[in-house]
Amino acid sequence: MGRDSFEIIVNGVKMIVIFLMMVQVVPILVWLERRGSAFIQNRFGPNRVGPLGLLQLLADAVKFLTKEEFFPEKGIKFLYYAAPVSALIPATLAFLAIPLGAPIKLDTFEMFGQTWGPYTFLIQGYEIGVGIVFILAVSSLAAYTILMAGWGSGNKYALLGALRASSQTISYELAMGLSIVGVILLYGTFNLTDMVTSQQGPLSFLFQGHTVTLGWLPNWGIFYQPLAALIFYAAAFAESNRLPFDLAEGEAELVAGFHVEYGGFKFNLFFIGEYGHCLVASALMVTFFFGGYQIPLITPDEMLVHVQGLMGAGNAAAIVNGLLHHVVFLIKMAVFVWIFIQVRWTLPRFRYDQLMDLGWKTMLPWALANTILTAALIYVAHT
Amino acid sequence: MTPDVFLFWFLALTTVLAALGVIISANPIYSVLSLVMTMVGVAAIFVTLGAYFLAGVQLIVYAGAVLVLFVMVLMLFDLKHEIHAFTRGPVTGAIKIAAVGLLGGMIVGAIALSANSLMKTENNGIQTVIEGDSTKALGKLLFSQYLFGFEALGVLLLVVAVGAVALARAKGGTHAQH
Amino acid sequence: MPLGGVLFIVVFLIAFGCLMLWLASKLGTQKIADPVKYQSYECGIPVQEKKDTKISVKFYLTAILFIIFDIEIIFMYPWATTFKDSLAAGQGLYVLLSMGAFLLIFIFGLFWEVKSKALEWD
Repeated sequence: MGRDSFEIIVNGVKMIVIFLMMVQVVPILVWLERRGSAFIQNRFGPNRVGPLGLLQLLADAVKFLTKEEFFPEKGIKFLYYAAPVSALIPATLAFLAIPLGAPIKLDTFEMFGQTWGPYTFLIQGYEIGVGIVFILAVSSLAAYTILMAGWGSGNKYALLGALRASSQTISYELAMGLSIVGVILLYGTFNLTDMVTSQQGPLSFLFQGHTVTLGWLPNWGIFYQPLAALIFYAAAFAESNRLPFDLAEGEAELVAGFHVEYGGFKFNLFFIGEYGHCLVASALMVTFFFGGYQIPLITPDEMLVHVQGLMGAGNAAAIVNGLLHHVVFLIKMAVFVWIFIQVRWTLPRFRYDQLMDLGWKTMLPWALANTILTAALIYVAHT
Repeated sequence: MTPDVFLFWFLALTTVLAALGVIISANPIYSVLSLVMTMVGVAAIFVTLGAYFLAGVQLIVYAGAVLVLFVMVLMLFDLKHEIHAFTRGPVTGAIKIAAVGLLGGMIVGAIALSANSLMKTENNGIQTVIEGDSTKALGKLLFSQYLFGFEALGVLLLVVAVGAVALARAKGGTHAQH
Repeated sequence: MPLGGVLFIVVFLIAFGCLMLWLASKLGTQKIADPVKYQSYECGIPVQEKKDTKISVKFYLTAILFIIFDIEIIFMYPWATTFKDSLAAGQGLYVLLSMGAFLLIFIFGLFWEVKSKALEWD
């Protein structure tokens, strides 16, 4: 597979498109969050601008861009401006490493009087061999954004908010990292694409030399690792500092947390980063436990045959197949994003000691138990 | 210049410049943020060598954990007096001159010692980069050749944890209750 | 090599962020000079200087314990990837038990920390 200009351009454009998709999802999520919360609390929510208030997104964007430029007098200029810009980086880097659709295999084709291909394009920014480790690594850098913002604002409430946010983030990173050990044990790899591939077809596993098959269930990770899924998702809530774990922004004590001195588009960049973390967590839930981009019980290759039956063999069928799986992924992901929103408007906030107790004394031991149990079960099943 | 060579020089230059920033900046916050940058650069260089897992660990442990603690500590102490004490005064000047001399000596020594190997263009006995994923090889080595060290590390970390808790519980100093 | 892609997107993101901040500063409404407006936001009370902040040692302790446990968890990752391979190679029990010893130390550490009330917040 040689590298030529077409492939490099497509890969570059793809990364930017995935990033812009992420940015575009944020206003939709904000709208969903406001309408959803209004629905839960028996209010109207935004309903003035456009049908169902949908144009509110546009109005918000204009408002963000036309806000007055503000810099607090005690702030540190470099850190104050660098923090919102760098807030985008961890979430985007992590999101680009997740496989969002079945790979598109293109045959040779003619374009501009030249023969191109064959190519294999992944619906994914870049494929990284140690996918999970990469995602954990870049996500752990998110703490600096918060600390930079807190320090650069020159405001003690911002600093306290940053301290609490980072302290909370690192406490739950342990439970999250340990719950992933069970997942890695199950699949035996760090590579996210390999994980998705090993979840294809109906539920079937090896037990003491016998293959057990349940034809009516997909071979998803959730059936092997339910506890890990629960711990991972709960830790993801805490990592993205959302209710019920939003102590970093507790309005009553801390005014607004680390971003108290930020407004306009600078605040919006933090917002994109925060929603980016929700998206990454939801996408990882789908990838680890719910079969990734696969349609239940049908492997991507079988689906390709169906699509080719409808459209005829060719590059168009391959592209349609890839995008179809991408849509499936987005639907699965939307479910988890909705749970994020639903939980935010249903549960009350924890107290700080309860939050720390939950992370260290409940989730960490349970994740440990899950690891030991998984290892023991795999040992029993394979001997 | 091939892309790989360009990438190496770019990363190496960034890392060294960030490392210089650690010792040059007077403000400890900028110092530690430069240190973060250095760690990220080192991780990226690990990636170019094919050590993907090591790069990830470098980021998770150093950049994501150890330096977060540094940043938190620096941000929460008022370091104005310390900054003043460490940037002005005759003692500090003497220390600075000594440090420059030490660094110069180290550079000269390193060049003198490695002049031979720098001149060589063929392989200096360094093993070629492992193709593909080296994580599994690492895991296998950890449980065969280095098992004792691995278990000893578990005990060491336990001792460190006990020590940290004991220090935090000690009464006295500015936070004494009585 | 994915590193090229990562570097490319990092440069793109920084450019994007800076462009947006620049655009927002150009499109923003005119500044109204008022010294009070640029003071730190502290709910309207007169701004108090941060002199010598005293933060509970618990925050530092949490961070140190986090580092220690984080390293232990990282060491489980290579074990987790090779576990099935070791099983296939017939070394399953050996690898399971050597990791078991490590995990026992881990569990003892966690148990001791909970018992020593180092993780209590009040």
